[in-house]
Amino acid sequence: MALVAQADSVPAVTVRGAVKQFGPVRALDGVDLEVPAGENLGLLGPNGSGKTTLIRAVVGVLRLDAGTVHVMGERLPSRTVAGRIGYMTQSAALYEDLTVRENLRFFGGLYGLRGRTLTDRVDEVLALVRLEARAGSVVRTLSGGMRQRTNLAAVLLHRPRLLLLDEPTVGVDPELRRTLWDHFHRLNRDGVTLIVSTHIMDEAERCGRIAMLQAGRVLASGTPGQVKAEAAQPDLESAYLHFARTQGLDDGTAPMPRRRHRRAGRRGRVG
Amino acid sequence: MRVLVLAGRIVRQFLRDHRTLALVIIVPSAVMGLLAYLVDEDKEPVTVGLVQQDEGFEAAPGLRLDLGNRLAEHLRRAPGILVVEADPEELARRLGDGAVAGGVLIPAGFSRELAGGSRPRFTLVLEGSVPSVNAQVQRAVQQAVQSFLSDLARATGTDVSPGPPVQLDLEFAHGGPDLATMDYFAPVFITAFVFFFVFLLTSVSFLRERSQGTMERLLASPISRLEVVVGYLLGFLVFAGVQALVILGFSLWVLGVSIAGSAWLVLLVELLLVVGAVNLGIYLSFFARTELQVVQFIPLVITPQVLLAGVIWPVETLTPVLRWLASVMPMTYAIRALRAVMVRGAEAPAVVGELGFLGGFAVAMVALAAWQLRREAL
Repeated sequence: MALVAQADSVPAVTVRGAVKQFGPVRALDGVDLEVPAGENLGLLGPNGSGKTTLIRAVVGVLRLDAGTVHVMGERLPSRTVAGRIGYMTQSAALYEDLTVRENLRFFGGLYGLRGRTLTDRVDEVLALVRLEARAGSVVRTLSGGMRQRTNLAAVLLHRPRLLLLDEPTVGVDPELRRTLWDHFHRLNRDGVTLIVSTHIMDEAERCGRIAMLQAGRVLASGTPGQVKAEAAQPDLESAYLHFARTQGLDDGTAPMPRRRHRRAGRRGRVG
Repeated sequence: MRVLVLAGRIVRQFLRDHRTLALVIIVPSAVMGLLAYLVDEDKEPVTVGLVQQDEGFEAAPGLRLDLGNRLAEHLRRAPGILVVEADPEELARRLGDGAVAGGVLIPAGFSRELAGGSRPRFTLVLEGSVPSVNAQVQRAVQQAVQSFLSDLARATGTDVSPGPPVQLDLEFAHGGPDLATMDYFAPVFITAFVFFFVFLLTSVSFLRERSQGTMERLLASPISRLEVVVGYLLGFLVFAGVQALVILGFSLWVLGVSIAGSAWLVLLVELLLVVGAVNLGIYLSFFARTELQVVQFIPLVITPQVLLAGVIWPVETLTPVLRWLASVMPMTYAIRALRAVMVRGAEAPAVVGELGFLGGFAVAMVALAAWQLRREAL
């Protein structure tokens, strides 16, 4: 399934038979996934399809009911590997009453950054997300977009080799969305493995490979081109619906297109 | 109509929030029941030591008066106290460490003097560090003396002569009548404030950590669960320490409360209490989803301790069930230790049991919080 031959033969992520049950809901229902190092994988699926649960399992903050996760060759849970993973949560997970810089210094400190290195790295990521001017502002006073950029800055401090982004562009205006994706692509070119969850189809098109999720199962995976070809559909949206229909996974989850329209409306509002 | 729509929604929300419903129903009845019991006079007796040195008196051939033992008999029957025999040294020692609430000393020659009409003195020594216990002992002893005297009057067929035929001297082992009420309550304030604020602040900020998503980020980082718990502890210790010093300083210099023992020992007790409170806060915050639910823990965690831990009503006077409850509450031990140190001037060895419990509670809470954090995620 890997498309780009990697010099690094150890996969960034290997998930085998992942199962997770939350009360009556089976969030993961036997997921197998292998992500070669340096790949840019998009996790595609509607709300409740298991994207966030899968990401949390890979990050190591979720205990699976069954199955295993290996990250960079190490079986989770592993604290050594935790230092090489970056996890951008869906909503900006920041301390509202601290400034941007204080937040960044705190998160850098968690990863063992100290003194000069920490100061340099904070300046570096602030420049990257163009927030130098607001470094001294308390997070509570920031706009949604600025928070999201701070959120991204916080996961880049320790220069992770594997970056998991959970719907990083929700509630973000189109311009910032483009800027963020430019960052993601640049990181990926620098060799960082990316796993990005989204339910926005044109974002999925930007990924090297996609895995379509529904009701905790992988429906299909491959390059966007392969997936469309396999489904014999002109776009990812139709391809998703095709797989959802043919694989007979009727769980009552709302189909993609309607979600997408609602999202589009929300994006317009937040901007 | 719109008003009803709004009201209906609120009722619906409350009905769905089972925990709030339970609290609204259970807490008032539980607290009122407890209070009704506590303010009631009829409570378990406190222990009073008795030193009976009267040897009796041969008033006339064949007529032996044993008035000291008669008085002792009345004391044993008095409600509210449990009389144990002791010798003078033992009584002094047990008053010193607070093991008895008071002691009655019937001196040698009591019968002879009373028969001779020379108004013998006998002594009631109150332990002194808890006002309500002092009152309870005093009341019981006075009742016993009254019934002893009326018994005597009936037996001898004489009226009680002008003025009581015996004199009761009141002494205090600690504090005494000149001890201000604040001296008794300063240990309570120190304990309750520290426990309450630390518990509340930790649980709210830990809850916030989870609700704003930063906990997820902490757990994803290489920091260990134990490091999270200990880090929280150190952070809150700074605040709790400052608060403890403020309360202590205010008590000492503004309210003029005196500390008979070592201030360092007072701070040690507070430190152990804070460690327990921080981690209890962390642990319980996992069972709350909102800050309102954290506030709902107050009637469960704080109120019972304030009512049962010996703040006003001594633990020894509670029924066995409540006494057992009090015996697992950290504030019981903190208050007991602080009263021993601040009022009785106890040294560390005297409160080693209390320190031991508080230390054990602290360690258990650290373990519980770390374990819960582990369960929460990996």
